[in-house]
Amino acid sequence: MTGAPRNNLRSRRDFLMRSSGLSSLALSYLMGGTAVAAPGKQANPLAAKPPHHAPRAKSVIWLFMEGGPSHIDLFDPKPELERLAGQPLPASFGKPVTAMGTANNTLMPSKRKWKQHGQSGLWVSDWYPNVARHADDLTVIRSCWADGLNHVGSVCQMNTGSILGGRPSMGAWLTYGLGAANQDLPAFVVLADEKPVTGGPKNWSAGFLPATYQGTLFRRDGPPILYLDNPDTVGGRQQRSKLDLIAKLNRQFAEGKEEDTDLLARLNSYELAYRMQTAAPEAVDLSQETEATKKLYGIDEPATARYGANCLLARRLVERGVRFVEAYSGSGSQWDSHTDMEGNHGRMCRSSDKPIAGLLADLKARGLLDQTLVVWGGEFGRTPFNEAGDGRDHNPWGFTIFMAGGGARGGRTIGTTDEIGLRAVERPVHVHDIHATILHMLGLNHLNLTFMHNGRAERPTLVGGKLIEEVYS
Amino acid sequence: MHRAFVVLAAAAILALAAPPAADRFRAAQRRYWVFQPVVKSAVPAGAAWGTNPIDAFAGAKLAEKGIKPSAEADKVTLLRRVYFDLTGLPPEPRDVDAFLADQSATAYESVVDRLLASPGYGERWARHWLDLARYAESDGFRADDIRANAWRYRDYVIRSFNADKPYNRFVEEQIAGDEMWPADLEAKVATAFNRHYPDEYNAQNLRARRQEILNDITDTVGSVFLGLTFECARCHDHKFDPILQADYYRLQAFFSNISADDEFPMLSPEAHAAYQKKLAAWESKTADIRARMSAVVKAARDRQVKSRYTAYVEEVKKSLDKPADERTPMELWMADKAKYFMNPAEETLAAGLKGEAKATYKRLKAELDQFRNLHPGPLPKGTGITELTGEPIPAHVLSVGVYDKPLEKVEPGFLTILDPEPAVIVPPANGKSTGRRTALAKWLTDPANPITARVMVNRIWHYHFGRGIVGSPSDFGMMGERPTHPELLDWLAAEFVQSGWSMKHMHRLIMTSRTYRQSSAHRPDAAEKDPSNRLLWRYERRRLEAESIRDTSLAVSGLLDRELCGPSVRPGAGSHHRRSIYTFLRRNSLYPILEAFDLPDTHLSCGRRSATTTAPQALTYLNSEQGMEWARGFAGRVLEQAGPDRGKQVETAYRLAYSRSPGGKEKDIALSFFAQHESIVAGRAAAGGKLAAPENLPASVSRVEAAALVDFCHALMNSSEFVYVN
Repeated sequence: MTGAPRNNLRSRRDFLMRSSGLSSLALSYLMGGTAVAAPGKQANPLAAKPPHHAPRAKSVIWLFMEGGPSHIDLFDPKPELERLAGQPLPASFGKPVTAMGTANNTLMPSKRKWKQHGQSGLWVSDWYPNVARHADDLTVIRSCWADGLNHVGSVCQMNTGSILGGRPSMGAWLTYGLGAANQDLPAFVVLADEKPVTGGPKNWSAGFLPATYQGTLFRRDGPPILYLDNPDTVGGRQQRSKLDLIAKLNRQFAEGKEEDTDLLARLNSYELAYRMQTAAPEAVDLSQETEATKKLYGIDEPATARYGANCLLARRLVERGVRFVEAYSGSGSQWDSHTDMEGNHGRMCRSSDKPIAGLLADLKARGLLDQTLVVWGGEFGRTPFNEAGDGRDHNPWGFTIFMAGGGARGGRTIGTTDEIGLRAVERPVHVHDIHATILHMLGLNHLNLTFMHNGRAERPTLVGGKLIEEVYS
Repeated sequence: MHRAFVVLAAAAILALAAPPAADRFRAAQRRYWVFQPVVKSAVPAGAAWGTNPIDAFAGAKLAEKGIKPSAEADKVTLLRRVYFDLTGLPPEPRDVDAFLADQSATAYESVVDRLLASPGYGERWARHWLDLARYAESDGFRADDIRANAWRYRDYVIRSFNADKPYNRFVEEQIAGDEMWPADLEAKVATAFNRHYPDEYNAQNLRARRQEILNDITDTVGSVFLGLTFECARCHDHKFDPILQADYYRLQAFFSNISADDEFPMLSPEAHAAYQKKLAAWESKTADIRARMSAVVKAARDRQVKSRYTAYVEEVKKSLDKPADERTPMELWMADKAKYFMNPAEETLAAGLKGEAKATYKRLKAELDQFRNLHPGPLPKGTGITELTGEPIPAHVLSVGVYDKPLEKVEPGFLTILDPEPAVIVPPANGKSTGRRTALAKWLTDPANPITARVMVNRIWHYHFGRGIVGSPSDFGMMGERPTHPELLDWLAAEFVQSGWSMKHMHRLIMTSRTYRQSSAHRPDAAEKDPSNRLLWRYERRRLEAESIRDTSLAVSGLLDRELCGPSVRPGAGSHHRRSIYTFLRRNSLYPILEAFDLPDTHLSCGRRSATTTAPQALTYLNSEQGMEWARGFAGRVLEQAGPDRGKQVETAYRLAYSRSPGGKEKDIALSFFAQHESIVAGRAAAGGKLAAPENLPASVSRVEAAALVDFCHALMNSSEFVYVN
C-alpha cells in the first residue's frame, strides 16, 4: 500500500466544535443525531436505519461459486445415478432444453466418495473435506431453482432477482434498508477472483435506487478504492490543510441555508472521505493478521492463497461493520465444467474448501458467526447427464446452496431434488425465496422494503419470495 | 334452431368472450386526468405578479395559500442559473461584467436568447434526452460489444435541440424516420432511439432475444413519450392504470418487424454511387489477391460457420436453409440475426491463423496494401432501425410475458381506454416496411393526443426547476404524483402545440417568468405553509449534474475544448478536454468521474436523476489526476491574470470560480490559508516532495507559492458553491 495518507485525525467533535457558524441542528446532524431532512432531499443516505424486526444477523458474506458448482458432486448424493449410469434420461423426467442441447446425452454418476458428517450426519462429498468439518453449522438447501439458462442472466438473477440487468442487487437493497454500520468504509463490498465477474457491475448495481447504495468493487492491486490515495503532489498535512479550507468555504456557503441538509451532508462527505483514506487501507491490510490465521485460510499454499485472502478480507470487513461482502470464487465462470468435471471441480473445490472452512472457523472463534450470515452457492447447478463425456451442463431446475451462521440453525438439509438431481421436487426454493430469507434474517421484510420507481413500489423479490422458515426456526 | 337454444348459445358466447372493453375500466380510471383532453383555460386574472401567464397561474396558487412569492434573485445568481440551466457551463467573468453593465429593460431576455442560440444549449439539453433514450455506445451483457456508430444519434439530438426542431417532428423521426422520410439520412439516424436496447448479440435463443428487445422498446416508448409504466402490463392488466395486458402487446405490435440496421451508408445517393464506383475499381484490380486471401481463411470460415450453425435450434437452421425469398417474416429476422455469424469477417478469421497460413496471409495482405491508394476508404456508416419486409411478424399477447407462451393474436393499437379499435395502418408504397411505426408516430404527435405534449412540457419544466409540475416525469399514472398546477400544465401543453411544438419557445416562456427568477433564499414564513416548495415560492437550489461539474471544472481551468459533435472520445488514455457528452459511453464501464456524480445506468430510461452526496465523490474530486490537472490549469489562469499578488489572486480566482468577488471575511480566510499552507508546502519541498505546479510559471512566483495556489484553486473547485446552483 503506497502513498496511503497517515491522517492525524483529531476527534470529530473537536473538529466541529472549533468550527464557527454551524448551527446546533447542523452539529447534531453531523454528530450522527437525527436532523429532519427537508422533504424530497436525502440527508445522509447511509445513516443507520432501524430494521423492520429484530435481526438475527448483522452482515452477509456471500461466497459466490461462479460458473455453477455441481450439487450432485458436492452436497446432494444420487445413488440412483449409479444404477442408471450410461443410460439416456428416462422419459419420465421429460426433456429439458439445456444451454448446450445435452438432454439426449447419457446419465453420468458422480465419481465422489460420500460420507455423513458431524452429529447431524449431513452428506458432503470428499471434494469439500474441510467444509465438511463444519457440517453441524451448515443449512443445506437442496431444492433451489432459478429462471436463467446462461451465466450472464443467472449470475444477474442470483444477485438482483432478475435475469435482465437494471435492478438493484441484494447488497444494494440491504444497504438501502439498513444503512451502513461503519461510515468510514463502503457498506457493500465486492471481491472478485482472478478474472472479472461475468456480467460486470450490473451485479452490484444500485439499479433504480440512489447510486449511493451500489457495491464497491475492491481492486486487487494498489489501493482498494479508486482515488483513495492522495495525489502524488499532496502530502498528509497538506491534504488536511486543504480540507480545512474546503470546510471553511462550505460552512461559509451553508450559512443562512441551514434548512438545506444536502449542504451539511456535503460538508460531512469530505470528512468521511478523509477517514476512509485511512480506514480502507487498514481494513485490507492482511499483514496485521497472525501467521496462524493466514494458515487457517490457506494463504500459505499457492492453491488456496487467492481465495483464502478474499475470505480473510471478508472477515476483516464484516468485523468492521461492512454490511454485505460478496466474495467470488472463480469469477468469469471458472466453475463452468462442460468438460472434465474431475479436473475443473477438483481444482475449484481445492481452491475454495480450506478458505471457506477457515472463514467459518475464524468467524466462530471470534464470536462473529452468530451475527454473520454466510451464504455459499453458484448461479445454478449441473446436469446429471454428461456433456462431452466427462462434463456436465447447466442446471437451473435443481441445485444446492448452503447457509451458515447469522441465525441459520445448522446441521439441516432442506428440500430434495428428484432421484437423479435434475429437478427440485420437494419444497422447491426459488431465488426470490433465498433473497426474502436473507433479508428476513437481517431484520428486513422483503414485502415492506420498497422503493417507488416509475410508479411502482418496487421490492427486491419482484412479485415472488416466500420465507424458508426451516433455515432459522 | 330452437329459440331457447339460441338464447342459451348467445348467453354462453357472452360468458366466454372477454367482457366488452367498456367494462374493463373503473370509473376512476376513465375519469383520470391524463386521459382527458387538454384544456387551455383562461389565464387567472387579477394576479398582480408580472405579465407572464406562468406567473398568473403560479401566483394564484400561492395567493390561495397566503404565500408571497420571493423577490427576484440578484443579477449574478440569476446569470449563473441561466448559464448552467441552458448550457451546463458558468459565465466567464466578462459575461458577468457585460450583464451587470447592461441596464436595459431587456438585458435578461437577451442573455436567454443568446444562450438559446449558442451551440452549448444543444450539448446540455441533448444530454437530458440521452438519459431518456438509455443511450449508450455498447451492447451491455457479457461481451458489451461496441456500437461504433451510435454517436451519430447523439449528434442528431444535439443538432435537433440547437435547431429547435419541432418536437412533433423530433418524435416522428425517432419512431419512424426511416418510413416517413426515407431519403433523409438524419431521420434514419433518429430511429436509433429504438436501437439503444441492451442486447446480447451472440445469444443462441433468438426468439427470447427478440422478445427482450421488443419489451425494452415497448417499456421505453411507453415511459418516454406517454409517461406511463407499460411494463406493469406485460404479464397482466396494469393493477392501477387503465393499461390492459393486451394494450402492452398492441403497443409492441407497432414494432413487430423492426430490425437493427447498423451499417447503412451515411452518404447521399450521389456520393454513395461515387463511392461504389471507386470501390468497384479497387475490387476489380484486387480480385485475384482477395480471392487468394479468402482461400487461406476458408477452412477457418467453414469451421466457424458450421459450429455456429450446428448450435442453433432447428427453427433457425430451417430459416438459414431457405432461399431469402421463401422465408417468413420471422425467418427473415432470424436469418438476419444469424448473418453476422454465417458471414464472419475475414480479419477476425485471419487473426486466428497460425504458421504457414498466417505467413501467406500476411504476404498477400501486404500485396493488397499496394493498392490502398485506389480504395475509397472506410464507408461512413450509421446505426438505426429498419424493417426487413412489409409483411408483419404476427404479434400475440404472451402468457405472463413468456416469449414462447403466445395467447391471442393482436394487431397494433393504442390504449384501449382512448381507442379500442386497431390502429389504421397505411403501408408505404415501396413495400419495404409495414407502416406500423408511422401510424404510431402520427398518433403520438396528433395535436388531439392528450398525453404527448403534457409529458414533454413537464419534462422541460422538470429540468428547469429540478422538479416537474408532475413530480414523476416518466410516470403520469395513478401511482405517480399528481400535478401541483394542473391548469398551468394544460396551458403549457396547449401553448407548446400552438407554438408549433417549439422547445425554445417553452424555455423562453419559463425562464422569463418571475416564478423562475425568484431567489432561492429560505423563508420560514413560506416554509411553514409549504415546506416542500411545491407551490414554487422560491427557486430550488440544486447540485449540478455530473457532466456540468466536469465541464465547469474544465471551463474554469481554461482547458475546455469546445469542439462540437463527432465520434466519442475514449477516456482510456488519461484525461480528455472535450465536453462530457462526448465521452465514450460504455454500458458496463461508465466513466468514473461521471458515475460518481450519478450518471444514470444506461440499461433503463431515466427521467429523473438522483443527486447523491457521497464520500467517493469527495475522493474523486480531491484525489483524481483529473482533479489536480484542473486545479493546475485554474491556478495557471489565475497567475496569468493576477500575477504574484495574493490579494489579486484571490479576487481573480473567486471571479473565475464563482462569478463574484470575495467578501472581506473570505479574503481573510484565503490569506490566512496561504500563510499556513505555504509553510506546509515549503516543508514538503524541503523534504524533496513533488509539488504541483501550473505550466509556464512566471519567474516572479516560486514553485512553493504556485503549489499553494494550486491547492487553493483545488479547494474552490471542491467547494459547495462551485457545484450548487442558487
